[in-house]
Amino acid sequence: MNIEQELNETPTNLYAPHEWRHGTVVAGVPWKNPVGTASGTFNVDACGQFYDVAQLGSVTTKGVSPVEWLGNPGVRTAESPAGTVNAVGLQNPGVDHYLEYDLPKLKGLGATVVANVAGHCDDDYAQVVEKLADSAADMLEINVSCPNVTHGGMSVGTDPVALGRLMDRLRPMTNKPMIVKLTPNVTDIAAIARAAAEGGADCLSMINTLVGMRIDIRTGEPIIANRTGGVSGPCVFPVGLACVWRVRAALPDIPIIGIGGIDSGEKALEYLYAGANAVEVGGAALYDPTAPIRVARELEELLDARPELTEKLAKGDTWR
Amino acid sequence: MPTTAFSHTVEQAEQAGRMPTRRTVTVTDVHELAPGIVRFTFRDEFIARNVKPAQFVNLYSSNPQHLMPRPFGVSDVDGDKVSLIFAVVGYGTEEFATLKAGDHVDVLGPLGKPFDISADADYLLVGGGLGIPPLLETAQALAGRADCRALAVLGYRREHFADVYAAKYADEVHSIDESEGNVLTLLERLWPKLQEGGRELIILSCGPTPMMKAVAEWAAKRGVDAQLCMEQRMGCGYGTCVACTVDTRDGREKVCEAGPVFTAHQLGWDNK
Repeated sequence: MNIEQELNETPTNLYAPHEWRHGTVVAGVPWKNPVGTASGTFNVDACGQFYDVAQLGSVTTKGVSPVEWLGNPGVRTAESPAGTVNAVGLQNPGVDHYLEYDLPKLKGLGATVVANVAGHCDDDYAQVVEKLADSAADMLEINVSCPNVTHGGMSVGTDPVALGRLMDRLRPMTNKPMIVKLTPNVTDIAAIARAAAEGGADCLSMINTLVGMRIDIRTGEPIIANRTGGVSGPCVFPVGLACVWRVRAALPDIPIIGIGGIDSGEKALEYLYAGANAVEVGGAALYDPTAPIRVARELEELLDARPELTEKLAKGDTWR
Repeated sequence: MPTTAFSHTVEQAEQAGRMPTRRTVTVTDVHELAPGIVRFTFRDEFIARNVKPAQFVNLYSSNPQHLMPRPFGVSDVDGDKVSLIFAVVGYGTEEFATLKAGDHVDVLGPLGKPFDISADADYLLVGGGLGIPPLLETAQALAGRADCRALAVLGYRREHFADVYAAKYADEVHSIDESEGNVLTLLERLWPKLQEGGRELIILSCGPTPMMKAVAEWAAKRGVDAQLCMEQRMGCGYGTCVACTVDTRDGREKVCEAGPVFTAHQLGWDNK
């Protein structure tokens, strides 16, 4: 039976109320299905107009910093083959606004919320984690992998020593499940993953975007004001998948959230077979607003025929 | 877009109280108005029914290499048909320009915050080049309002490609091209007569940013309120990716969601 035959032949209403059949457990937190949104591509108001955000396994919100960040100047985005290069620079209104607006709104809607934590330095991360430590957020995701900020972000996530130091600081601050989001822009992602795990990470998510750029051949200059940006979209799918595979091989027990180029249930399923406990849809939401909920439904149909996989996911185990 | 077993029709979305997502619609007409400038019409009852002046729609390429949406202001609607006018500037617009009646294209919309035309006033619709289309739709919306007048003030590089559409809806159409001057030349010419009526004047403008800034400053000097429809390179077009920002007095705002319409005061272009 091929994949298309496996999917229902009669189209099902994507908006109809739905009882999810295959949940997963990520670092002790139950997700009603294995699909969430990737940080930086989800906003409660923008996405909530298209679908019920509580239907997803989780939603990961855009990185929050201790105070408002204005991000990078424009131009911030350029199309690339089967993807996009962006350099927003973590523009956000700050953690206080997040605690007053986004988080209560999402919890009020019934969403499982992963709060993405951004910083320019260790103190920044610590200030945000301190404020989120007793918040309603279900999980925290430490963003040590943004390629578009000059300090913090990827400079921490490419250095096992710096990452270990940051985790030593953050880990004692909260009992909330702590995810570390990894960058693919390293020689050995397993070494970074190990440093995060040894520092007390409960879970790893991967991948953040790959460093890339576009040049305007009329001017000879970079299109994006930041010059380089982060590449996402279907073009990064095999990269993310290989990163999950490698980290799973190195760390058999830690929960992993697979991210990168997922725009269908089939691609989500590949990540689960690579050893992920769950996945997140990112770039696809930028050109298909209901992509996360569609991927979740497509994956569910595929999981119906795979009880040996769903049994593992439901227990918090993985295929590998 | 991958094959999917899940449908998401406009009717299903509306029944669920949701904004309809990206969908495939039928192209009904594509023709050139001037060299490299295309009028593009498709059928979408939801957009035709709901679109407001200065709102825009996303079109999506059918080429899986080119995933990101192209945003276009709506120029007018006719029944369930929605028209856009755009210039062919790259591979995305080139693909759309080569579509024929009966072909399909994916769309999303309507998107963005519209012009505020709630006041009973005389509206000066000041447009430049490819910024003119949203003002045509504005003129169309004002055409049904007995208490308002719409005066189109249009500047072109060469061909006056939109005058015929403006004339369908606006009470007056004044246009100019670079051989003679620009929209400020026209505004100066019209100003004595505009002051005579004693009616409230509001400027709604769309065009190149330097033009809109000059128009806003011209308006501020004369005590006329101006709303500007801004352009910025966009990502998603619906407020989630934070790519298309503009600096305002209220902070760094998303053009696709807080805009594309901003007041001259918000942009700091009113000299106050």
